[in-house]
Amino acid sequence: MDDDEAIARSLDGDLAAYEALVARYSALAHRTAYMLGAGDEAEDVVQEAFVKAFRHLASFRRDAPFRPWLLRIVANETHNLTRSRGRRAELALRLGATADVAAPDDPEGTAVATDRRTRLLAAVRALPERERQAVVCRYFLQLSEAETAQVLDWPVGTVKSSTHRGLARLREEVGNEFA
Amino acid sequence: MSSREPFEDGLEAELLALGELIDVPAPPPTDVAAAVRARLESTPGPSSDPATPAPDVDHVPDDTPASGDMPGSGGTPGPDPAHGPYSTPVRPARSRPPGRRDDGRRPARRSRRRRWTIVAAVVAVVIAITAATPQGRAAVARILRFAGIELQVSETTPPPVTTTASLPGERTVSLPEVQSLARFEVKMPSGLGRPSNASVADNGRVVSLFWPGGVRLDQFDGAIDPIFFKKLAPPFLDFVKVGPYQAFWLGGEHPLGYIKREDGTEVPLRQAAATLIWHQDTINYRLEGVRTKEEAIRIATSLQ
Repeated sequence: MDDDEAIARSLDGDLAAYEALVARYSALAHRTAYMLGAGDEAEDVVQEAFVKAFRHLASFRRDAPFRPWLLRIVANETHNLTRSRGRRAELALRLGATADVAAPDDPEGTAVATDRRTRLLAAVRALPERERQAVVCRYFLQLSEAETAQVLDWPVGTVKSSTHRGLARLREEVGNEFA
Repeated sequence: MSSREPFEDGLEAELLALGELIDVPAPPPTDVAAAVRARLESTPGPSSDPATPAPDVDHVPDDTPASGDMPGSGGTPGPDPAHGPYSTPVRPARSRPPGRRDDGRRPARRSRRRRWTIVAAVVAVVIAITAATPQGRAAVARILRFAGIELQVSETTPPPVTTTASLPGERTVSLPEVQSLARFEVKMPSGLGRPSNASVADNGRVVSLFWPGGVRLDQFDGAIDPIFFKKLAPPFLDFVKVGPYQAFWLGGEHPLGYIKREDGTEVPLRQAAATLIWHQDTINYRLEGVRTKEEAIRIATSLQ
């Protein structure tokens, strides 16, 4: 069952079809909410976003891709949450356990890489909000410029300039030894 | 991701790799799917719920963002389910993901959950702003959310708004046009007679009706997420009833603004006169400019 079929069946009231759609995008939705600042409240945000997406499914244009439409709702919900908390969205990103696995034949190289990753992550966290959002969408969520524009509801030009500025700042912060 | 642009830069490749390494706690997808389904089953969707007249169905072109390049431009708001119909806060028991951290931030989770519960009971939501009060809001003692309006309550009277601005995209329309341009069913208060003027704003999200003497009735959809904000100081409001519905009477002048949700910035509108705010079903109302509480309630009750 592809997205379109799942959506068609959901519109007919088939909740099992919608359940399949939710399961399909659950991980990405959590990742998006979490990385855009929902932090530990990502679960609440994601559930709410899926409920709202279902209620508004009739307004979804069927020839458009579902993924960015859904992520836009997730981003909206995240935004509402962070705004209601009245402070800058937290970006409590942590490297997973796999990030520190050492290459046994090159402990020094591993240590350098780990240190650089940690510094790069800290630099992403410290970016101004817009630049951080652009960088998170483009690289951490691997969205295209057009998808990022849709998810964040910005013009593509803003995505481009924010990404560019963010990259420049990161480069300044950690250098660009791989360029 | 066929639309993906090639990355030539080493830093970009590094960021992509870093993204893969970031640990995001998430419950199993099947749990999420089951929880969402449970919520949907316990609260019928717009199509099957006569009390919720699917406001978006007639506005598909407005509500659906272009999948192309410029979703934020051209005046199309994109989908706005984040401000959609009232959803009843059914919280099914959810299994916690294994190994989930409990690092002391649970009170925040709880307050969000409590917010749902309280909104369901149609009571004001109080979110205490404690530590980490952001700049510019230092004077705000607490925030109440009710009927799509965020009430920012300060210890001291906030400075009045001396300018006036219109709502985003607001335009005057003829009375017969109003319904076709609104996202929801527009109601008229029979207690006030025919309005002299009407306007629709923010792509049909807000409908305003005007009467001589500065009386206006704003109607807007979405019961949970705030659209307007008001700044108040005690004694700032009375809790009253409009028929069976809870309502707030704001007896004095106060700054009024609009929270433009796309980027969260606030739009100051004007210094508002005394106002009654309430919500019925999924629609919020604010009746401004009626002198007494009793008269405002009488007019509000005549809505049909």
